[in-house]
Amino acid sequence: MPIVEKSLVTVDRTEKLEIEGIDVSGDWNTFLRSRVQTDLDVHILDWVKGQPSGETISRCWQCGTCTAGCCMHTDYGLTEFNPRYFIYLAQIGYEEELRKYATTIWRCVSCNKCVERCPKGVKVEEVIHTIGSYLETTGGAPESPADRFDRAYTANLLQRGILDEAALFRAYERQEGRVMPVRQMLKMGLTLFTSGRLHTGPMAHRTRGWRKMGKVLREALQEDERRRQASVLPGGRPGGGAR
Amino acid sequence: MSATVPRGPMDTVPAYYPGCSLDGLGKAYEVSAQQVLEHLGLSLDRIVDYNCCGATEVKNLSQDVSIALPARNLALARSMGRHQVVAACNGCVYSLARANDAVNEPATRGRINATLERGGAPAYDGGASVQHILEFIYARAGIERVRAAVRHSLEGLTVAPYYGCLYTRPKRYTGVGKIPGTDDPEHPMFLDELLAACGARVVTDFSAKTICCGGGHALSDLDVSVAFGASILNEARRAGADLVATICPLGQINIENHLDRIRASYGEEVLRPVAYFTQLMSLAFGASLHEARFQDNFSRPDLFLRSRGFS
Repeated sequence: MPIVEKSLVTVDRTEKLEIEGIDVSGDWNTFLRSRVQTDLDVHILDWVKGQPSGETISRCWQCGTCTAGCCMHTDYGLTEFNPRYFIYLAQIGYEEELRKYATTIWRCVSCNKCVERCPKGVKVEEVIHTIGSYLETTGGAPESPADRFDRAYTANLLQRGILDEAALFRAYERQEGRVMPVRQMLKMGLTLFTSGRLHTGPMAHRTRGWRKMGKVLREALQEDERRRQASVLPGGRPGGGAR
Repeated sequence: MSATVPRGPMDTVPAYYPGCSLDGLGKAYEVSAQQVLEHLGLSLDRIVDYNCCGATEVKNLSQDVSIALPARNLALARSMGRHQVVAACNGCVYSLARANDAVNEPATRGRINATLERGGAPAYDGGASVQHILEFIYARAGIERVRAAVRHSLEGLTVAPYYGCLYTRPKRYTGVGKIPGTDDPEHPMFLDELLAACGARVVTDFSAKTICCGGGHALSDLDVSVAFGASILNEARRAGADLVATICPLGQINIENHLDRIRASYGEEVLRPVAYFTQLMSLAFGASLHEARFQDNFSRPDLFLRSRGFS
């Protein structure tokens, strides 16, 4: 269980301090009002653990191996991208602090170095995505570009069983309000066409007999989405396990 | 290799999972890989009616769908009587291997199989191990056979071996240490050795060897994917490499798709041509630049290689 109450000021006691023969030892900072943090929310940990992708969070012992090797933290140099800290905040339930990173967490590129190295078997990358999903599901965090891409990708894939790369590219870029210069698009299209790689629209590859499987998987996707939403209590509070 | 215990039987001809890339943008990878396999006397049996693996995207929306997609392909491989599946894309290797890990858990297996059954696919109860095509070529053919197949040595070329992120990691999925013929996840060497056997000078201390290409966010986080693409090329440059060899269509396409942006932000001198390792091997085995489809690559390694006397 996470710590739910924690004093932020501890009495700093100086013992046996004598100045010119006079004992001046005592509690030096007791004039500060004791501050105890009580708004830590244990439900965050329950919510993350309740998602199939977040189950391993409670194995974390905060060694920081994930952050030390994290390519966003170290190679890209985004120092506030700190998976160890995100997990810590979720564990103790420090929602207010966690929300400061709502627009950072989604930037994990899923390189899985953290999963490879974690000595405790935490699926760090999946846990981080789950924490990001918590922030979005419980309101407060906007849907990130990466989430929009995940949705566009999955919808495209489930249509025919095989990704229509060109259609995904076009749809996503349009959705994000980016326009490829016509010359560049023609050049790329021509290169792909002449090398027999332009399988898009009616020429797209498809998996034979996919109709039924596609339908079943789209339903499963919706069911998971519904479950995730249902795990949020009215008022945006998370409500424990999702399964 | 002898200390490890095989998880299942080895197939003489394993199943081959192409994935969306090798049937699409990465066609040059598939064609050249086929040429390499033929030269080495190896063969693979394509999974017909395969579906896309879901890469690293689908799992962020639904755990079950992200396991069912690759599990369906593994089930098809099993119904072909195969115990081994070879894939050429790091993303495919990752998600297929991840599905294997997931179905080890009985409750998950039950749920996934119920989904597969409703969709009209065979059930999957495990038993198909996953291997990257680089590992397959290295472990099956061996360095000596590669060396013997070389007709046109790559001598004079300095190559940076770029493995990317999901090649053998995370080990809990890819089975490093449990499945024979798997490469080291932290410091892989198979590509180094294969290219060296083809006569190339291989950059040994290439620091971007296993960094991420940012391909997962190639469109959704341009700053990051351009920066990673640039740092792979820049590290290759610093190490004195003429070109970069890749083993993953995502890495290849992410770098090549960003060439203009990399040029604009980091300068012309950073740029290096990028080619699939199988294109380079095929070239060494005697294929022409055209046959190995170097003209397909947006970074045009064919132009560079022609200037170095290859045709």
